[in-house]
Amino acid sequence: MERPELEHALGRLLGPAEPEVGCDVCFQELDRYVELELAGKDADAAIPGLRAHLNGCPACREEHESLYALVRGERAR
Amino acid sequence: MSTATVTVPGQVPSPKTDLSVAVEPQPRSQLDEESRAWLRDLRSDGGERDEAIARLHALLLRAARFECARRGPALPHLRGNDLDDVANQAADDALVSVLGRLDDFRGASRFTTWVYKFALLEAAVKLRKRSWQGREVPLEPDTWNLFTSAGIAPDDEAEQSELLSTLQQAIAHVLTPHQRSVLVALALNGVPIDVLAERLSTTRGALYKTLHDARRKLRAHLQEQGLSVDALLGEET
Repeated sequence: MERPELEHALGRLLGPAEPEVGCDVCFQELDRYVELELAGKDADAAIPGLRAHLNGCPACREEHESLYALVRGERAR
Repeated sequence: MSTATVTVPGQVPSPKTDLSVAVEPQPRSQLDEESRAWLRDLRSDGGERDEAIARLHALLLRAARFECARRGPALPHLRGNDLDDVANQAADDALVSVLGRLDDFRGASRFTTWVYKFALLEAAVKLRKRSWQGREVPLEPDTWNLFTSAGIAPDDEAEQSELLSTLQQAIAHVLTPHQRSVLVALALNGVPIDVLAERLSTTRGALYKTLHDARRKLRAHLQEQGLSVDALLGEET
């Protein structure tokens, strides 16, 4: 597909193809997921379905981005 | 302090969902020294506990301000005072959530990382709600204009045109009215899920379940029609 805006819109409409967790499990596991990511470990293998959920849920994605940035910033100091 | 106004995911039992990819519950981990100290101080009595709560509030406020600073530039109608107000309310509400859920902390992360997510959630939800304050939430889709209003229009490629036409029909006829409203609001009109949850008096988790079910129905319908979504979206099969 050569139309990124169409691809993006269809992605929002159809969501991730892979199995995913819901918002509750995402919130419950988010801190562990971020720390695994920052430690360079395979967070997706440890918490299956969370990455797919982040791809499908803009609100959880924003909160993941913020937690990752906040903790990474603190550890860089 | 204000009372908690955000439903922290997991606080209210969600409807049964097929979203449940099995995530093994983590056994309680060996806590790091700092996390142990936090729990000890917050569970102590008197002045020591008060001092720990004040430190915790400061930590939560820092996280809430971090979120406000990240999202603020995209919300030009919110001034500095508004953002600070949001950050303070978020820190207050996060403090209530954290203190009420201390026993849920399993040591799967550092204590500070665990508490940050509460403040970030509270701040993010408040910012989304403020940005939609007074705005109409479109729930009644005009299905024939769905795609053009969302910037999606078929081009001259036959496969894309067929897919979009089939998708439009499926949204109109395969989904339940509730699934259609939720899908259109969240996925086409860009209504934040927390805003829609508030307007419909439900939770983020319940709404996402509805969205998920609608998406599965659409994918299944396209597949039945022999249309390859994966190829068009560049997804691996």
